[in-house]
Amino acid sequence: MRREGTHLEAIISTVDLRKGFTTKRGRVEAVRGVSIEVGRGEIFGFLGPNGAGKTTTLRMLTTLLPIESGSATVAGIDVARRPKQVRSRIGYVSQLGGADELATGRENLILQGRLYGGDRASVVSRAQMLMEVLDLKEFADRRVKTYSGGQRRRLDVALGIVHEPEVLFLDEPSTGLDPQNRANLWDHVRSLRSRGTTIFLTTHYLEEADALCDRLMIMDHGEIVAEGTPRDLKRQVAGDSVLLSLHDEGGGATTRARVLIAAEPYVREITDEGDHLRLYVEDGSAALPDLLRLLDGERIGLKSISLSEPTLDDVFLHQTGRSLRDAGAVTAEPAA
Amino acid sequence: MKTFKDTGLLFQRYTLQMLRNPVWLFVGFSTPVLYLALFTPLLKHIAPGIGVRNGSVLEVFLPGILALLAFASGSSMGFGTIFELQSGVVERFRVTPASRFAILIGPILSGLVMMLVFDAVVVAIGVAVGFEIHWLGMLALGVVLCLLATLMAAFSTATALVTKDISSFAAVINGINLPILLLAGVLLPISIGPEWMRVVAHFNPLYYAVQASRSLAAGSFGAAAVWQAFAVLVPLCALVVTWATRVFRKAVA
Repeated sequence: MRREGTHLEAIISTVDLRKGFTTKRGRVEAVRGVSIEVGRGEIFGFLGPNGAGKTTTLRMLTTLLPIESGSATVAGIDVARRPKQVRSRIGYVSQLGGADELATGRENLILQGRLYGGDRASVVSRAQMLMEVLDLKEFADRRVKTYSGGQRRRLDVALGIVHEPEVLFLDEPSTGLDPQNRANLWDHVRSLRSRGTTIFLTTHYLEEADALCDRLMIMDHGEIVAEGTPRDLKRQVAGDSVLLSLHDEGGGATTRARVLIAAEPYVREITDEGDHLRLYVEDGSAALPDLLRLLDGERIGLKSISLSEPTLDDVFLHQTGRSLRDAGAVTAEPAA
Repeated sequence: MKTFKDTGLLFQRYTLQMLRNPVWLFVGFSTPVLYLALFTPLLKHIAPGIGVRNGSVLEVFLPGILALLAFASGSSMGFGTIFELQSGVVERFRVTPASRFAILIGPILSGLVMMLVFDAVVVAIGVAVGFEIHWLGMLALGVVLCLLATLMAAFSTATALVTKDISSFAAVINGINLPILLLAGVLLPISIGPEWMRVVAHFNPLYYAVQASRSLAAGSFGAAAVWQAFAVLVPLCALVVTWATRVFRKAVA
């Protein structure tokens, strides 16, 4: 699903948000001028390596850290001026989760709901409902200590939405989850969105940003380096690459094809790589039929054709000059 | 009022957590009992030498144990805070609209109730071995102990939030606690010490609590030590609790 944030009502907006910390080694500018607009009902992501300033931004938006300069509005309320009102409208799931290990899942949910001001009866039924929705029913009355990683993470999410917030902030939601639990969590996040909750998440997993977010920002060294839908971002960089391999017994076919294809308006770049041609096009899936028709019309036999899309890592590389992998992010499947 | 409701909720939560942690309960109960069982016999023989009548060893020593218990249970609160900081619990509560004062005081109140239960056990054991009980004095003593424990607990919690990790917290708290303990006459009366010690002790809040505890345990409300203790502990307690609430309100990075 694609959404254009600017056309929707903005539920989160910040202008030139900044935050620095004084450490023993001097001052560190963790967030340097972040301006964002998140539309109601979006899944919006912050992608970047560890230390990029994602969590710091999130903590300012969730009233946990004072805003140093710039302004932020969440659900129509100024975060710096009226943090209390913001708190009752947002949910926040930190990297650590923070459920009570010695209490049961149900006890955790009931306490959380009551701290948000719910009365006992409605909180009890809300807790029951959430445990059913998030597949925690069987473990509801077991102590959290006995939960598996995936169960715990789902409980953390349940704790974040017990008061039906308008916006849910998730800080690195799938860190430490195996692929299966991760996919399961994504499904739950998507279904939350379909029920109207806006989701704001940070991640350093490319796959997560790509698969889950409607729109994302790439952050590095405290600054936004790129913004858009995952699709648009990837297209901005280089476009899709198409690999063509031709039947070329006589030797002239490849050269002929190259000249022919290079004349097409949608082709940005074409290179002859010996036995095959590589070309960059804006939209690969739209270009393929055209290419096939073109080659067929000139009776050039095609051995194989393949299309590969750029990844968000290419985007990161393009913007920062280094790979997200080298920047210290874990892009491989995390350990279970 | 929301603050009361939140305090109640967090009090319940903390009490439940403690009751579900048998190791903690065992340590809590055994510490004062061990002091009674293993320290009192030593005192018996030196009592006359330090100006204590042989029969009233417990009258001097037991209130000291109670004050020690209040001091220790209060100042150990920060260890729990560090754990909850590192497991994300503090952050989870701070992001809710729950009253910051309630987030601080809920656990402290729960600790006070636990402490009073342990105190009752210690006093019961004392009575069994000859401690003479003055009911009204004991009630007032309970108030002094609660003030002392609250003061220490708020101080310890705030220190934990500021230091953020277990080793720096332990270093700070131990560094502060040891001189306070030694200069308060908890186990042996400071009156047997040299004059400089007696002078320095007057700058130590724990000293006043211990002195008042001994007077109150003996049933003498009128003793100067009693009003002095209240005059020191009440404002100090208010000050430290206010500070700790502010620390909760401010950022905990």
